Amino acid sequence: MLTPTTEYPLNAYIQRLLQGQALLPDTPNNLLEVVGILKSYGVVLDAYSTNLVYVADHQFLVLFPFFKYFNGDVSLKKLGRHLWHDRINFEYAEYCMKTMLWHGGGGLDHYLDSAEFVALAEKAMQAKTKGNWLVQGLNLLSSEFLLEQVRQLAYYSALGQFWRVMSDIFLTLSDAYDQGKITTIPQVVDYIQAGLVAAANQPITYAVTLDQQIYDLIPQSAGLTFLPDTAIPYVESVFFRGTPFLGTVSYNAQAHEISADQASFQYGALYADPIPVGGAGIPPTLLMQDMRHFLPDYLHQFYQKTQRGESDLRVKICQSFQKSMFCVTTAAIVGLAPHPLNTQDPQEQLANQHYLEGWLDRLATSELSTVQWTELDLAAS
Amino acid sequence: MLSLLIWIPILTAILVCLCPPQHVAGPRNLSLVAIGLTFGITMLLVFQFDPISILPQFAESHAWIDRLGLTYRLSLDGLSLPLVALNALLTWVAVYCTRLDVPRPRLYFCLLLIINAGVTGAFLAHNLLLFFIFYEVELIPLYLLIAIWGGSRRGYAATKFLIYTAISGILILGAFLALAWLTGVSSFNYDLLQHQHLPLTQQALIMGALLVGFGIKIPLVPFHTWLPDAHVEASTPISVLLAGVLLKLGTYGLLRFGLGLLPDAWALFAPWLATWAVISVIYGSCTAIAQKDMKKMVAYSSIGHMGFILLACAANTPLSLLGAVFQMVSHGLISGLLFVLVGVVYSKTGSRDLEVLRGLLNPERGLPLIGTLMIWGVMASAGMPGMIGFISEFIVFRGSFPIFPTQTLLCMVGTGLTSVYFLLLVNKVFFGRLQVPIPAQMPSSLFVLPTVEWRDRAPALLLAILIVVFGLQPHWVLRWSESSTTALISSPALVAEVDKPTAPILPRVPAI
Repeated sequence: MLTPTTEYPLNAYIQRLLQGQALLPDTPNNLLEVVGILKSYGVVLDAYSTNLVYVADHQFLVLFPFFKYFNGDVSLKKLGRHLWHDRINFEYAEYCMKTMLWHGGGGLDHYLDSAEFVALAEKAMQAKTKGNWLVQGLNLLSSEFLLEQVRQLAYYSALGQFWRVMSDIFLTLSDAYDQGKITTIPQVVDYIQAGLVAAANQPITYAVTLDQQIYDLIPQSAGLTFLPDTAIPYVESVFFRGTPFLGTVSYNAQAHEISADQASFQYGALYADPIPVGGAGIPPTLLMQDMRHFLPDYLHQFYQKTQRGESDLRVKICQSFQKSMFCVTTAAIVGLAPHPLNTQDPQEQLANQHYLEGWLDRLATSELSTVQWTELDLAAS
Repeated sequence: MLSLLIWIPILTAILVCLCPPQHVAGPRNLSLVAIGLTFGITMLLVFQFDPISILPQFAESHAWIDRLGLTYRLSLDGLSLPLVALNALLTWVAVYCTRLDVPRPRLYFCLLLIINAGVTGAFLAHNLLLFFIFYEVELIPLYLLIAIWGGSRRGYAATKFLIYTAISGILILGAFLALAWLTGVSSFNYDLLQHQHLPLTQQALIMGALLVGFGIKIPLVPFHTWLPDAHVEASTPISVLLAGVLLKLGTYGLLRFGLGLLPDAWALFAPWLATWAVISVIYGSCTAIAQKDMKKMVAYSSIGHMGFILLACAANTPLSLLGAVFQMVSHGLISGLLFVLVGVVYSKTGSRDLEVLRGLLNPERGLPLIGTLMIWGVMASAGMPGMIGFISEFIVFRGSFPIFPTQTLLCMVGTGLTSVYFLLLVNKVFFGRLQVPIPAQMPSSLFVLPTVEWRDRAPALLLAILIVVFGLQPHWVLRWSESSTTALISSPALVAEVDKPTAPILPRVPAI
C-alpha cells in the first residue's frame, strides 16, 4: 500500500513540511531573528558580491593582488582603514568561493573541466601573459597552475553573481517585513522560494576585458544558470559540507578527526558549532563580525536583552544565522521537491516522502534539533 | 600608630555588629572603609619606615599583666612590614570579593575584621605571649567562617582545621613557656629573650615544638592535611585570606622565634629542615598534579611553594632570608589571585572539576578575561621572568644553593612541576571547546554562563598588576626587609654596634 512511512524517526519534520511549515518553528522571536539577520546578511552579501565580481573582472591573473579588497579605490585613507581592519571581511567570501571550488558539483564544475573552457581560458591566459616571459616560462613548467587560477576566478564570478541575487532577495524580504507583509516563518520561506524560482534560469556568464578585447570564459552558450549551477552547489558546499575550521578540529591525519571522504564532510553552516565563533580568523567569526555592523535596531535590542547582552553578540548572530539558513534550506528543499508537497496522489506522496527522508537523513546531525528550542523550552529547562 | 592597625578593625567589628539588620550593605561598606584605612596607615608607615635601621620601629609598649610577663609591646621591622601590608591588602580583597548577598553579613564581616586584627597583631607583637594571643585570636573566627559559610563538608573541614591549629597553638605556647622558664627571665618580651642563651639540647627541644607548631600552620608535610579540606570547603574570600596571609603566620613564626631566638638549634636542624622543605615541595607538587578540583590543586600548590620558604630559612644566608620574606609576599599575591579566579570560575559555572570544565577561554560565551588572568597567575606561580614569582624563587634558590646545593636543586624540580600541574589546569579548563555543567537535554550551544561583571574582575586585575609591578621592581618590596633579614643572622653584638640598643647585650653565637 502506498502510504508514507510514519515510523521514520524524523517524520515530525516531514509532516511539518507537508503541512506548509518550515524546518524552523514559527515563533515571533524566530521571525524577528531570521528577518533581522537576513537583512544584515543581505547588506554584507552585497559587499561580498561586488568584491568577488571585481576580483574576477579586474584582478584577472594578477599574481600578487595586494589591493583586491579595495574594489579599485586605492587611497591612503582606505589603506589606513584596511590596515586598522575597519572593513568588510572579504576573506569570508573567498572562503565560500574556495569551498565551492573544492567540493565542486553542478554544471559549473563540469564546464570548468571541459575542453571548451580550457581553450577559452588558454586564450585569455596568453593575452594576459603576453610579453611576460617569466610567467610564460613558469606556465610551461607547471601548465595547470594558471588554468586552475582561472577556474578559481570563474568561481569568484559565479559566486558573486549568485550572491547578487540572494542579497536582493534578503533585502527586499526585510522591506516586506518592515511593511508588515511578512508575519510568519512559512511566509519567509515562501518569499525566498519565490525569489529562487524567479532567478532559477538567470544565466551565469563570465568574461574579462584585456587590452580592450573581451575574452569569454563562461559564455551564455555554455548554458549555466543560477539555480542548478550555482545555488545548488552552493547549498551543498557551504550549507552542508563546508570545511573544518582551524583550531576547532585537529588537522593531524593520525587523529582521524576529519574524514578522508570529502562527501561525508559535515562542517557547513547548518552543522557548524556556534560556540567557537569569536575565535581568531575562523570563517564564522569573519561573517558574524561583518553582520554585527549592519544589525537592524530591533534585532540589536533583542540581543541586548538576552543574558550576556553584547558580550556574546557574535555567537547569537551565528545562531540566528543558522535559523535563517534553515529557512533558506527549507525553501530549497520545497522548491526542488519532485512533486508539490500538497499533492494528493499517493505515488507522488511516496516519492516526496522518500525525497524528504533523504534530506532529513543528511540533516539528522545538523543543528536542526538545536534550532527547535524556543524561549519557552529554555525557560522550562 | 601601630595600635590603630589592630584597633580600627576591632572597633569596626563592633560597629558592624551594631549595624541595623535591614542595612544589608552596611557591614560590607564599613569593612571596606576600615580595612582601606588600615591599608592607608600601613602605607604611611611604609614611607616613614627607615629601611636602613635594623631596630624595631614605631615601638609601643604598655604594661599589661606584669606577673605573667605579658606586655602590650608592638613594633615594626623589615620582616613584619611587608606582611602587615599584605594582610591589609588581601583582607580588603577578601571583603570586596564577598558576595553582596552573603547570609548573616554582620557576623561574617565582624569575623573577617577580627581575623585581620589578629593577624596584624601577631605580625606586630614583640612579646611572645602577646603574639600567641593574637595567633589564637584568628583561630575561632576562621573556624566559624568555614563552618558557617563553607561548602557541603564544612563541618568536617572546620573541625579538622580547629584541631590541627589548636595543637599548633598548644605546642607554640609550650615552647614559649619553656623558653621563658629555662632562661629564667620574668618577661616574654622578644628583645629580652633574644639576648638569652640556652644550651643546645634545650634549644633543640624548644625548636622541635616550634617546628611542629608552626609546621602545622605553614603547613609542612605531613601536618598539611587540614589545608586542602579547609580550602575546598571555605568560600573564596576565606581561601584568599587563608592562603595569602594566614599561612604566613607559620613561616613568620619560624623566622622570628625559631631562627631569631634559637640560632644554635636552628643551625643544628637546618640540613633536616632543608630536606623537609624538599619533601614538602615535591609532595605538594606531585599531589597537585593528581588533583581534579581546581581549588585543591591550588591548595597543594601552596604546600609546595611554602616549602621554598622553609628551604630559604634553613639556608639562613642574608640572600635566602630576603628571598624567604619576598616569597611570602609573592605567594600571598599569587595564591590570592589564583583563589579569586577559581572563585569566579566556580560562581559562574558551578564547578571546579577539571574533568568537567573545558574551554573557558572562549571569547564570547566563556570567561576570557578570567582565563587570561588565570594564565597570568599560573605563569607567575611557575616562576615566569618578569613576574614576582620568578624574583622570589630566584632569590630563594640563589641564596640557598651555596649552603644546600642538593636540596636547592631538588626544590627547583618543584618549580618545574608547578608548570606541569598548572599547564594541566589551564589546558583542561581553559582550552578547547567550551564545556560546563548544563541542564540535562539542553543543547550545549544554548547554555549561557552568567556575565562576569567588572566587580568580579577588579580584585584579580589588581593582584595581577601587582604581580607584574613587583616582578619588574622587586626592590620596592625588598628594600624594606634587607636590613632586618640580614640582622636576623647577625650577632646581637653587631646589631648593638650598629644601632646602639638600650637592652643589655649578652654574648651569643652566630647562627652559621
